[in-house]
Amino acid sequence: MTFQIILTLFALFAIVRTTRQYQRRKVSLHWLLLWNGLWAVVIATALYPKTADAIAGAVGVGRGADLALYMAVVTLAYLVFRLFVRQEETEHSVTKLVREIAIRDVENSTKK
Amino acid sequence: MKIVAIIPAYNEAARVGTAVRDALRFVDAAVVVDDCSVDNTGDAARAAGAVVLRHAINRGQGAALQTATEYALSALRADVLVHFDADGQMSGSDIPSMIAPIVSGEADVVLGSRFLGKTSNMPFVRWFANRLAVLFTFAVSGIRLTDAHNGFRALSRNAASRMTITIDRMAHASQIPDLIKVNGLRCVERPVAITYSAETLAKSPSSLRAFGIVKDFLKDKFFTRV
Repeated sequence: MTFQIILTLFALFAIVRTTRQYQRRKVSLHWLLLWNGLWAVVIATALYPKTADAIAGAVGVGRGADLALYMAVVTLAYLVFRLFVRQEETEHSVTKLVREIAIRDVENSTKK
Repeated sequence: MKIVAIIPAYNEAARVGTAVRDALRFVDAAVVVDDCSVDNTGDAARAAGAVVLRHAINRGQGAALQTATEYALSALRADVLVHFDADGQMSGSDIPSMIAPIVSGEADVVLGSRFLGKTSNMPFVRWFANRLAVLFTFAVSGIRLTDAHNGFRALSRNAASRMTITIDRMAHASQIPDLIKVNGLRCVERPVAITYSAETLAKSPSSLRAFGIVKDFLKDKFFTRV
């Protein structure tokens, strides 16, 4: 019971924060809907665990909590992968920038 | 025909001057990329007669080679590029035999090999790691070499402009055979002598770093958006 309350309060906190950030134009509408939708699902699952169990049963997983955990792992793995690719791109951009500065500098100094 | 040596250098103030002078006996120009050294590598190279480009942030040997290549192709209009080391392990007198197959039109890329006759005082662990690297290169790129990760190379202008090194750090040495294969370039090996000294061995990465090289290579091949 305690866990349900904490989870619900935290989800509400997240929703309020995101909505505020949206009002300040710090996040896009797309992100607002996605993020708040996710936390709404969390609240629903916390308050009515039976629903989650029913969904879990429908897709062939024993318990609702297990389903939530599996989905969380898959989502996190995907996000890590995306970060990984993004990080590589950043590294390449830095190298490109360093290269262009090096070539420009030597060309300027030889012209003088 | 304009021959340009390209020399990546990182903290080689003590040796880069000798390497540049040695190379300049056999090439028309030398381009040194000072990869953000904390010593006077740049000044030493300039004093020896090289054109020096400086990376404002250390980006690794692969990145430095690519920087020098782009400069040699565009600003110096190089016809043949020679990859040469800054630490004095290579000898300039091998340059003529390295570029000969390109000048004669027999090959687009010439790779130096430590296992084709000329003797090198290679430590055993190095030798063993190199055998594994040769197998790795054959497995991932389908190119059969006698020596992997030998930094002595010669490239025609055409080959150099088609092969873009995107792996910034050590794994570029595995990417090069891959680029040769992908671009369908003609490649031959020529014997070169590499002299190991206690100083350069202490500075160069341990053979265990090979795992890092494999990781970087696979990362570039599979995880980079094209």
